[in-house]
Amino acid sequence: MAKPVVILVGADKGGVGKTTVTRALLDYFIAHNVLIRAFDTEAPKGTLRRFHPDITDVVDVSSTSDQMKIFDTLAATDVTVIDVRAGLLATTLRMLRDIGFLETAKKNQIAFAMFHILGPSIASLDEIAETATFVSDANYFLVKNFINNTTFFEWDPATYNSYFKQIKGAQEITVPKLNEMACEQVELASVSFVSFVANKLATGAPASYSFVLRGYVRHWLGTVWADFDRARVMDIVTPEVQRKAATR
Amino acid sequence: MSEGGAAGLGSRGTTKHTMERRTPVFIVCSPLPHVGKTLVARLLAEYLHADGRQVAAFDVNPDDFALAEQLPDLTATADIGDTKGQMALFDQLIIADDVPKVIDLGYRRFDQFFAVMQEIEFEAEARRRSIAPAVLFIGEPDQRSTQAYATLRERFPGLPLVPVLNAGAEAITRTRSYMRPKYAMAPLQIPLLAPALKTTIQRSESITAAMDKLTAANMNQLRAWFRQVFLQFRELELRLLLEELKPALQLRA
Repeated sequence: MAKPVVILVGADKGGVGKTTVTRALLDYFIAHNVLIRAFDTEAPKGTLRRFHPDITDVVDVSSTSDQMKIFDTLAATDVTVIDVRAGLLATTLRMLRDIGFLETAKKNQIAFAMFHILGPSIASLDEIAETATFVSDANYFLVKNFINNTTFFEWDPATYNSYFKQIKGAQEITVPKLNEMACEQVELASVSFVSFVANKLATGAPASYSFVLRGYVRHWLGTVWADFDRARVMDIVTPEVQRKAATR
Repeated sequence: MSEGGAAGLGSRGTTKHTMERRTPVFIVCSPLPHVGKTLVARLLAEYLHADGRQVAAFDVNPDDFALAEQLPDLTATADIGDTKGQMALFDQLIIADDVPKVIDLGYRRFDQFFAVMQEIEFEAEARRRSIAPAVLFIGEPDQRSTQAYATLRERFPGLPLVPVLNAGAEAITRTRSYMRPKYAMAPLQIPLLAPALKTTIQRSESITAAMDKLTAANMNQLRAWFRQVFLQFRELELRLLLEELKPALQLRA
């Protein structure tokens, strides 16, 4: 019986492109034929669900019944991704600790991974220190998101390294800039990155997106996935599950 | 901006080579200014048009839309300096409508054009839709030109890279071999043309109109020159077609 995998994607503040990274991550696992479910905690709206409606549920993490919904489905799929509402990362981790989830992870009954999308300010680094205490048994990925290019990281490398080293086995991931118009068009189309590149509508019917913009997205996604490969993101999933996925 | 018409082609799913559907895209370019690029682009467009075919020309020279001025009915202006401009050009170029395309690529946009082309993987998609891009590189005896040719060859190994040599340039590179890059294909040679006759072409809206302005002697000279150039274009088309057919022919051997 394969260990359930839970991935948390969080950021200390909004606007750092957290949900964009989640979308690229979902596409990555789907492309590898890994069975995946996502929970969007931006209740009631849910930005993530717009792009991956088939696999995403909107939940309120403070509601007990929604908490049950998440954890009861863990065993039903290979990977569960929780897109944590901006600014609620520490709160969510505390909640997870309180309901015993972190304990279960510690006992190696659940594989736990964290994607921490970093913002440009120093306060973002402080959050690493805070979350580090919760996630000592997790695969920890620090993500610098340059997708909007406006991000200029004001912390110097030395400061960053000191935080980085506090977390055992932490991996760094860089998400490069994506052409603004391409970004906009994918948002407007309300489809996954992979669907946009494949020129498909949400229904799966052929679309007529710009070839140029599709090319920019394809190139960007390829670069992001290559960095996921380099950081060994797929290792979150056990070899057994990877093998099963490969045969699908 | 959308691609329109080509939606059905990609879904046929076979890799069978079809001779009936083919859309050549000629990229006439040079990393240097004032090498006679617009003249070559214009001649190629007129050659294709004279053959009874439709042709679509694109003038990518933000400083000076000279081709658009000379051939207004066949030419659209394009500036790839921003995303919108890139979409306007490349989304058109990827349409497999059997209409040959000629791009007059200004030196200022040389790097950007090939950067975009590479990033969006234009060649791969073009191949899938029987669109045949080819570069007509106006070679000059200059280090920048030699370097640019070599770099294009490295970055786009599958792309036909035809050197176009003006008679004067060819004479120099023959004597200074270090200026001559390793040509991927046999060059096109543009013979010498008297400056006055060149000006006459530039000031005329068509070849016939140009002829009308000249004395009998000059007309004969110009006609002979056109014939040489057009023969080269015809030979070039055949050579390019042969290159594409090679894999299929070898399989049958």
